[in-house]
Amino acid sequence: MQGNPSNKSFLRLEHVSFSYYSVLGEVSVLSDIHFHVEKGSFVALVGPSGCGKSTILSLISGLLKPVGGYITFYSDDFNAPKVGYMLQHDHLLEWRDVYHNILLGLEIQKTKTPENLALVDELLEKYKLSDTKNKKPSALSGGMRQRIALIRTLATRPDLLLLDEPFSALDYQTRLRISADVRDIIKSEQKTAILVTHDISEAVSMADVVILLTKPPCSIKDIIPIEFERNGISRDEVRTSKLFQEYFDQIWREMQDENTDM
Amino acid sequence: MKIQTCEHCKKSYSIIAAAETLGQQQFIKHQKRTRQTIFWSRILLFAAFLALWQIASELGWIDKFYFSSPSEIGALFIHDIKDKSLLNHIGITLFESGISFLLIILFSLLIATFFWFYPSLGKLFEPFLIVLNSLPKSALAPLIIVWLGTGLRTIILCGMSVGIFGCILNLYQSFSQTDPERLKLIETLGGTKMQAFTKVVFPGNIPTFISLSKVNIGLALVGVIIGEFLAGRRGLGYLIIYGSQVFTCDFL
Repeated sequence: MQGNPSNKSFLRLEHVSFSYYSVLGEVSVLSDIHFHVEKGSFVALVGPSGCGKSTILSLISGLLKPVGGYITFYSDDFNAPKVGYMLQHDHLLEWRDVYHNILLGLEIQKTKTPENLALVDELLEKYKLSDTKNKKPSALSGGMRQRIALIRTLATRPDLLLLDEPFSALDYQTRLRISADVRDIIKSEQKTAILVTHDISEAVSMADVVILLTKPPCSIKDIIPIEFERNGISRDEVRTSKLFQEYFDQIWREMQDENTDM
Repeated sequence: MKIQTCEHCKKSYSIIAAAETLGQQQFIKHQKRTRQTIFWSRILLFAAFLALWQIASELGWIDKFYFSSPSEIGALFIHDIKDKSLLNHIGITLFESGISFLLIILFSLLIATFFWFYPSLGKLFEPFLIVLNSLPKSALAPLIIVWLGTGLRTIILCGMSVGIFGCILNLYQSFSQTDPERLKLIETLGGTKMQAFTKVVFPGNIPTFISLSKVNIGLALVGVIIGEFLAGRRGLGYLIIYGSQVFTCDFL
């Protein structure tokens, strides 16, 4: 993963660094972030809170510009890839019904084409949310709202999904269920995704690769490929498997080292 | 499916409640009775106040000349309604208040929107607006008369002056308190600032807007009456000044 980019490479961050400027001085948030993401893979960024994980997503999406280094997308055509964002809260607008919340992205990008509207219907149908279409978001549970938010993002046909702790506002039970759901949806739509989380088990259960970050100024501590399928463990058994525990322990230990370094 | 039935029951909840258990029925009945008691008590209290006033003035506890009495006020009211003079004055005042209210809302909306788009302008003008808002607005009225004379324009401007600064400040404040995460959502979807305003900031502030409107209907009326005190030849404010100058307290 860290070595030479294969021809499946999708996104490459090269020695990226970033700083915030404040009245008190320059605060270095990221230093020498260097990794690449393969097309169709699910990458999780794990690190202590406040270590600038979200900043990496903002940089990839272009909301922020890196102070140093390069961010390169590889695509088959010359079009810039479209990035979809999923934030911590669903931010469904309470004055719109579910359907029009989903259309928000299309309205903004002025792409309310028949094909895209058909895609919305198809997604709603596929993930069994069709009967919520005309409801106000307040009538939905937290998990449903988050799935609607995902569909809102998917409706804009992004090439890359950025998930910024999208489950942290949910209760634990819902979180387990929805994180599995979201993983399935992303995998079945064959999207490339980058998840930011501080929850190790969430990262291990969802991602193909876990990138472990250090305390600020944040750099990469370790890159751990997660290989359940290769070891013959089906998705349903992931959380109860011995391998899951091993991954968890490994990441936990490395994060502890990080804490004692302080 | 579960939620669907639930939403349905929300809509027709009174009907379903009627078909509910005995305990539910009693609860509803009790609530209804409490509401009715409060409603009739209010009317009773008002009637008692009027009766006490009437008796006090009849028996000479208070001077009829200064305090008048409900029966005289009633008689005068009916008399003035009959010769249409009162209705005419009320109509004019309401018309003027309506215009100033609409102008307040229109200008506040325009200015607050402008400030939201250019926050540094907003910051620049905010302290001035706070000063203008805390001025006693009735003190402005004579100045407006000097500038504009004693016409309709003056009265409407007076009506506006009471509410408009507060309205701009409140609206701008609530615009700028829009959840930054929501703005980020629009940004991540590739939206412009204009889209952020039309899709999130404005619709999200409609409740504030409505409550501000409610307050400003009242303020416009106060302002218009102040204007009429000083510059009117018609309207309720004019009548009040007239009434006090000729000492007809029943008229007031």
